[in-house]
Amino acid sequence: MRSPSPHKSRFLEVRRPVSRRQAALSAIAIWVLFFGIWLIAAEGGMVNPLLVPSPVQVFETTWNLFVDRGFIGDIGISVWRVVLAFAMASALSVPLGVMMGTFPAIEAIFAPFVSAWRYLPAPSFIPILLMWFGTGEAPKLALLFLGVVFFLITLVMDHTKNVRKELIETALTLGANRKVTVLNVVLPAVLPEIVTAMRQMLAVTWTYLVIAEIVASTTGIGAMMMRARRFLKTDEILSGIIVIGVLGLVFDLLFKAAHRWLFPYLQEKR
Amino acid sequence: MSSAVLHLDEVSKTFALAKGRELTAVDKVSFEVERNSIVVLLGPSGCGKSTVLRMIAGLETPTGGTITLGETPVTGPGRDRGMVFQAYTSFDWLSVRRNVEFGMKINGVPAAERREQAEHFIRLVGLSKFLDAYPSQLSGGMRQRVAIARTLANGPELLLMDEPFGALDAETRWQMQELMIDVAEQAQTGMIIVTHDIEEAIFLADKIVFLSAHPGRVKEEIIPAFKSGGRIRSKEELVQTPGYAELERKIMRLMREEGQHE
Repeated sequence: MRSPSPHKSRFLEVRRPVSRRQAALSAIAIWVLFFGIWLIAAEGGMVNPLLVPSPVQVFETTWNLFVDRGFIGDIGISVWRVVLAFAMASALSVPLGVMMGTFPAIEAIFAPFVSAWRYLPAPSFIPILLMWFGTGEAPKLALLFLGVVFFLITLVMDHTKNVRKELIETALTLGANRKVTVLNVVLPAVLPEIVTAMRQMLAVTWTYLVIAEIVASTTGIGAMMMRARRFLKTDEILSGIIVIGVLGLVFDLLFKAAHRWLFPYLQEKR
Repeated sequence: MSSAVLHLDEVSKTFALAKGRELTAVDKVSFEVERNSIVVLLGPSGCGKSTVLRMIAGLETPTGGTITLGETPVTGPGRDRGMVFQAYTSFDWLSVRRNVEFGMKINGVPAAERREQAEHFIRLVGLSKFLDAYPSQLSGGMRQRVAIARTLANGPELLLMDEPFGALDAETRWQMQELMIDVAEQAQTGMIIVTHDIEEAIFLADKIVFLSAHPGRVKEEIIPAFKSGGRIRSKEELVQTPGYAELERKIMRLMREEGQHE
C-alpha cells in the first residue's frame, strides 16, 4: 500500500471549493444523466409511451406549440397575470412592511392581522373568489395577490427590523427628523434585502399562477396543460412544465441582474 | 460664567425590571465639559459610562437630574451633539464623499459649501484618496475615519464617541488615537470619549471622569498634571512622560477596587 501523499487530490475533500471547470462539468453531467435515463426508458419501450413520451418528442411538440398553435399567447397571458398581481402585492407590501418594521405602533396594529392571514392557504379562497369575481381575470389576480402579499409584508417587516440601531441613531444625532430617517437611512439600508425577498416571493407567485390556471381558466399555460390532459397529450403537458420552469429561471436571473445593477456597492467587497 | 459647554447635574438613570424591581445604572452623576476639551469617561464594565454618553446624546432620557448644553437643556438627539459608535455606521450605499456630506445635506447646507466642507474633513482624517470609494471597499479603521469626518463636517459643538476604536487592531488604534489629538486641535470641537482602555484614556484626556460600578457614580475626576504644558502628540512620547506610569498605576488600582465589589 502506498503511503498517502499530502498533495494527492481526491474527489471528495471536506469543504474544499471546486474549480469553475469542475462545477460546469458537474452541472452538465447531472442533466445529461437525467435526459439519458428518460430517453432510454422511453425509446427502449420500458414505459408506456402514452404516459411518458420521449424527450425528443416533447421538444418537437414544444416547437410546434410555439410555431403553429400560438403558445406564445398563453405564455403572454400567464406572464401578464404574474407580473400584474406581483406588482400590486409589492406596491402594498413594501411601504407597509417598512412602516411596520420602523414604527412599533404600526406593527402593533397590522402584525396580529397579517400573521393570522398567513396561516390560511390561499387556494382555500378559490371557491369564494370564483363566486365574487366570476371567471374573468379578477379571481386569478386575487388568488396570486392573496398568496403572496402577507408573506411579503412579513419578510419586508423583518428585514426592516434588522436595520442596525446604530445607523438610525447616527442619523438622529446628525439632526435627521423621522421622515429623513425613514427615507434616507432605513429604506436604502433595507432595499437590497427587499429586492431579495421579492425575488423569493416571485417564485411563489408562479406556483399560485399554475393553481389558478388549472382550476379555473381557459387561457394561460396551466389551462393549456389541462386541455392537453383531456386529449391524452402528455407531450404537451410536459412542454408546459418545461416552459414554466424556464420562465421561473428567467425571472430569477432578471431579479439577480437587477440586484447587481441597483446595488453596485455590494459587489465591491474586498 | 464658567467656560463649560456641557453641564451634568446629578443625572440618574433607573431601568424598570420585571416584577416591579428597578435597576439604577447611573446614580447622580455630575461633571462639566470645558470648551474644546477632551473628557474621557472611564470605568469598569457595568459603570454605566455608555448610558451617560447616550443620555448626553439624547438617545436615552435621564430619570433624574439635568443635562445642559450651553444654556439649553438636552431633551433629545440633535446635530449639536454628533455621535460616533463602536460598531461601523457608514451608510454603505453612499460613497465616502456622500457619507460625509449626509448631515449637511439633511440640514440644508448648499451643495458648494457641502462639497468644500466634506473635502476638508476627509483630508483631515487622511482619506483624500478614497473620496469616491464605497465603505465596503475600506478597512475598519478607515470606516471609523469616515464616521468621524461625517460627524465633524456637520459642525457639532460636541463630538461623542462610544468606544470608537474598540473593534480595531492595536496599530490602527494608536493611529486613530493620535489622529484624534490632531482633529481636536484643528476642528476646535469638544469631545467626550467612553473607553475602558486606561492607556487610551490617559493619552486622549484633558480630564478623566472615573466612574464606579453598580450603580455608576463619579468616583474621581483626574486631570493628568503632566499635560499642563499641552497635549501629548504620540504614544511613544506618552509612555516616556514623567508621571505617566504613576497615573496608570493609580487608575489600575481604582479599577481593581471596583472589581472587588463584584
